[in-house]
Amino acid sequence: MSTPFLEVRDLTVSVARGDERFVAVDHISFSVSAGDAFGIVGESGSGKSLTLRAIMALLPGSARLEGGTILLDGEELAATGHGARAERRGRVAMVFQDPLSALNPVRKIGEQVAEVPRHVLGRSRRESHERAIELLGLVGIPDPARRAESYPHQLSGGMRQRVAIAMALGAEPALLLCDEPTTALDVTVQAQVLDLIDKLRVELGLAVLFVSHDLGVVRELCRDVAVMYTGRLVEKGPTAELLQRPHHPYTLGLLHAVVDLDDPVGVLRPIGGALPDPLHLPSGCSFHPRCPLATEECSQSVPPLVPLASSDSLRDGTRESACFHSDLVEAP
Amino acid sequence: MTEIVAEEFPIETSSALSVDSLTVTFPLGPRRRLTAIEDVSLDLARGDSLGIVGESGCGKTTLARCIVGLQRPDRGTIRIDGDVVGAKRNAQERRAVQLVFQDPYSSLNPRMTIGAMLVQLLATHDLARGPDAEERSRELLALVGLPADALTRHPGAFSGGQRQRIAIARALAVEPRLIVADEPVSALDVSIQATILELFADLRDRLGISLVMISHNLAAVRHVCDRVAVMYLGKVVEVGDTQEVFADPRHPYTRSLLNAVPQVKRPPPAHRLRLVGEPPSPLSRPTGCSFHPRCPRAEAICSVEEPALLSVEGLTMRKAACHFRNDDPLAIITVPPEALDG
Repeated sequence: MSTPFLEVRDLTVSVARGDERFVAVDHISFSVSAGDAFGIVGESGSGKSLTLRAIMALLPGSARLEGGTILLDGEELAATGHGARAERRGRVAMVFQDPLSALNPVRKIGEQVAEVPRHVLGRSRRESHERAIELLGLVGIPDPARRAESYPHQLSGGMRQRVAIAMALGAEPALLLCDEPTTALDVTVQAQVLDLIDKLRVELGLAVLFVSHDLGVVRELCRDVAVMYTGRLVEKGPTAELLQRPHHPYTLGLLHAVVDLDDPVGVLRPIGGALPDPLHLPSGCSFHPRCPLATEECSQSVPPLVPLASSDSLRDGTRESACFHSDLVEAP
Repeated sequence: MTEIVAEEFPIETSSALSVDSLTVTFPLGPRRRLTAIEDVSLDLARGDSLGIVGESGCGKTTLARCIVGLQRPDRGTIRIDGDVVGAKRNAQERRAVQLVFQDPYSSLNPRMTIGAMLVQLLATHDLARGPDAEERSRELLALVGLPADALTRHPGAFSGGQRQRIAIARALAVEPRLIVADEPVSALDVSIQATILELFADLRDRLGISLVMISHNLAAVRHVCDRVAVMYLGKVVEVGDTQEVFADPRHPYTRSLLNAVPQVKRPPPAHRLRLVGEPPSPLSRPTGCSFHPRCPRAEAICSVEEPALLSVEGLTMRKAACHFRNDDPLAIITVPPEALDG
């Protein structure tokens, strides 16, 4: 296994709501190697997007980094402050859910894609323009020289997301952060954009960190995955194995709750209860009030994310679970 | 343009809903109009559920708005329980069809308690007043799986899934003959979606409610709906029994749509059918079959002659708008290399 390109250790982020603060990302650790795709799945409020923003040094005003280290290629990055963005420039780029919010509506897309080569890499105007066309071609925009003259509103949703990806690639980053980049797209277009990200990962050797609520999307793209619930990683491991044989009751619950196209009809097994209010997280394991396996221990202390005792870990990835009863989780 | 005569659907008196040759256009300027749906005919038997699937811009929401009377069609008729209803409806006709919206956060009045909302609604429609209305409200909440103490609380006290239950209770309050749900689970978290789908399936079985569910979520439709209609660029391209359509799609668009859905519990298939491009704008509709520029199966005829929605040989109740609907369905899977994106 290659050395990790991105390493996140004990990342902790708090968020203010009114006069109160709560921990939205709670001591999470993971790593992504060059040429690899790592997925984080979770429902709304799980802290998955904040994790990405913390790595990008783009936390919103209400959020505060409380601790943890972010290593890029073995070197620690400043978490906040003036230097933080500069350190990331040209190395880390991000693609958002809504490509329209990433694009300037009154400027031609070619100019926008040329901005990074021109102002960050200091290329000449002509070189930057040529590079923009090259990038638009790389992300699969047909007839890129002509399309460079279009405005964002003249493009479809899928094409806009391709342009946003081209912009992200402008400074040849080694790490691409993706925040639900296909959620706003139609399913046939989503498939195309997933193919594109996968192609870029392989061809450019990008490390990809992909955040989504959609287990199916993550399964298509990511070799490894972490499942996040109320700010904590509850399970981690190679995607296919983890989804086939989950070792956390929440992962199992999610698998039961999602409906696949070829599932038997009429069998729906939603997770009981609702997502807890982050200001009043249940004690111990925050999933325990919804968990069929919960015992007294679960309400008293937080189970750590540890390698599975049985360690049926295959290949090079280890399986980890944050559950006192991980060996009791039945196969779906 | 060739004249298209869609095969007539039999208008049965027992139909909960029957849509006949519905066309809706929107003005775009002095001389331009956008055709949102064109010549759509559908039929839903009483107590049945129909899923309408397709990607954005296919016209599924416009169709839903016509059915509930929020949009006046240019042409065509809508019958509810055999009676023709226009866009202007009286109280009785409005009661007959109820809409459940996508976003339960914006569809409930935040300043009204759930009880006050239901009681007011029952009084407006002269269904119940006073203690009777309160009793009925409790029954409605029980029907959608909410405790009676929810009556005294405001929408803000409820989660997304619970709010959607409240919205469904509100729709049921006026004893409609048909419920139209427009993307009822897509604003909800994954772990909650199944609870709402289960509720719809349960109401369908228990109350015999007729249901139209608009969704881009094919798996959700498969779990709730007996029949499914697939729309592309304002037209129905395939319709039939949900299980059969999903198991043996006869329109290449249906097949590629099904193929594009990422599966959670199965490994991704080794060979993917990837569509090139995106649905074209309804303003520049391709000639012939509007799917032909993206279709892996397209031949010369497809760009010239538009296929009508016709029965498929050997499959009862199935119709598809494809020149090759009677061919070996496996032939569709053979993808020319240029159709593989990326």
